Amino acid sequence: MRIKAYLSIFRMRLKQELQYRGAMIGGICCQAFFGLILVALYRALYAGHPQTVPLEATVSYVWLQQAFFRMLGATDNDLADRIRTGDIAYDLARPLNLYGYYYSRVMAQKLTGSLMRAAPMLVFAALLPKGWGISAPASLPALIAGIAALMLGLVVSSAIENLTVGFTMRTLDPRGIQAMLNLLMMILSGSILPLTLFPDAWQRVIALMPHTQMLDAPIRLYTGQRSLSELLQIIGLQIFWAAALLGLGLLLWSRNRKRLTVQGG
Amino acid sequence: MDTVKLYLHSMGMLLKSHFQYPVSFFMQTAAQLVMEGGEFMALLLIVDRFDHLNQWTPGNLYFFFGLMAVSFYLTEIFGRGITGNFPYLVRSGQLDTILLRPRGVLTQVLCSATDPRRITCIAVGVAALVMGSLQSPVHWSFLKALALTESICMSMILLLGLFMIEAVFCIFSVKSVELVNALTYGGRSACEYPVDIYPRPLRILFSAVAPFALTMHVPAAYILDKPLYGWPVWTVFVTPLAGLAVFAVMYRVFRLAMRHYRSTGS
Repeated sequence: MRIKAYLSIFRMRLKQELQYRGAMIGGICCQAFFGLILVALYRALYAGHPQTVPLEATVSYVWLQQAFFRMLGATDNDLADRIRTGDIAYDLARPLNLYGYYYSRVMAQKLTGSLMRAAPMLVFAALLPKGWGISAPASLPALIAGIAALMLGLVVSSAIENLTVGFTMRTLDPRGIQAMLNLLMMILSGSILPLTLFPDAWQRVIALMPHTQMLDAPIRLYTGQRSLSELLQIIGLQIFWAAALLGLGLLLWSRNRKRLTVQGG
Repeated sequence: MDTVKLYLHSMGMLLKSHFQYPVSFFMQTAAQLVMEGGEFMALLLIVDRFDHLNQWTPGNLYFFFGLMAVSFYLTEIFGRGITGNFPYLVRSGQLDTILLRPRGVLTQVLCSATDPRRITCIAVGVAALVMGSLQSPVHWSFLKALALTESICMSMILLLGLFMIEAVFCIFSVKSVELVNALTYGGRSACEYPVDIYPRPLRILFSAVAPFALTMHVPAAYILDKPLYGWPVWTVFVTPLAGLAVFAVMYRVFRLAMRHYRSTGS
């Protein structure tokens, strides 16, 4: 069975990710520090200018963003290297769909990367004094809905990454385009500035974009900024984007496969 | 003088090598523009929603942002050997060849890399400085121009010093240590805003350990006619020297650490 092969790639990648614990601890501390700075900044901003979005919700937004940071952004540099060195030829020789092969890898990486960081980060954020740390979810159903939406967000996020790689596969030096697409992701997913603080008119449009399906939608469910009555709408949009991005990615990769130039050497 | 000549010569050669792939260079430079532009956009959106931050007007905030961007990315251009390249030199064993040559290690490391793509980030920073200075508005005088120049120079030296902490860690642990990023990149993110908005522990950190507040915020607040903590004018020209102090300490530590350098052997 093909699925079994993808699952074992997924498992292998999980194990590999778990190896670098030292770097991970340093990363978490650094991330927590960034979170503290952001919270301090928003507290100062709120002090002079109360907002419709409560401070607690913004603070929780910051911590959840820090915790699941690894779900966003490019995580797999191997592929770009393989294209540059020509090693991609070996991957083409595998009896697997290239897209599926990389999709499993990317997803495993995002899942372990974020789970291993999220757990300690959320504990840390929960221990902070009130007004500094993460608040409890709006309700138990909101928490469950948020987790479900986060899972779908992972599917969307991995599909976006593979699509990005698909676009950049054709150039030998994808760093420029990749940096731009990553930035788009950082802005539209709310990592640079919580999307809840964007101008209200922008938010309506941004909410429909695929990038908001990854982290923003689950976080809003958690904090209760989007009520459970909207759940079907949110999940529907996520499924739509997941299907669309996966389809587009598969198409693009199979096209690329036909016109891929393998570098010698 | 000879060292300066060597440095300039190396920079020239490195620039030439960057321009060998013009399309790639152009794309990456544009990407840098978009990236720093995105950061600035976040600030504009914050201003749009919150209007002001304690006593600091939007114009003041742009000025602080611009000062950090210009100092940080100038350091990345002129000090890339320390800010980015050093871990690679250690891991790949290239530091060994450096040790063989009859020049200072630090000089050669500085000569080993530059990052001209950052020029667009500096452009964004300059735009923010100009916007901030027009909107605040700043009444420029010779003393203020001098304070700004000293602030940028000292902040660059401070940043070099802070990145050397990472270099020292690298010498001992081969892999670069992410934790040090808290001081360098964390400092950059935090000190894009004036330090007095932060709670005491962060204020102490950014005044005593990584004194961005002393090299940047004291002079900038003076330029904006809102002296930080109401300190007198002469402090504006003294406190930035903290950057030099950090660098001097780190230089000593770096020299000490180099004595314990063990090659990776590759």
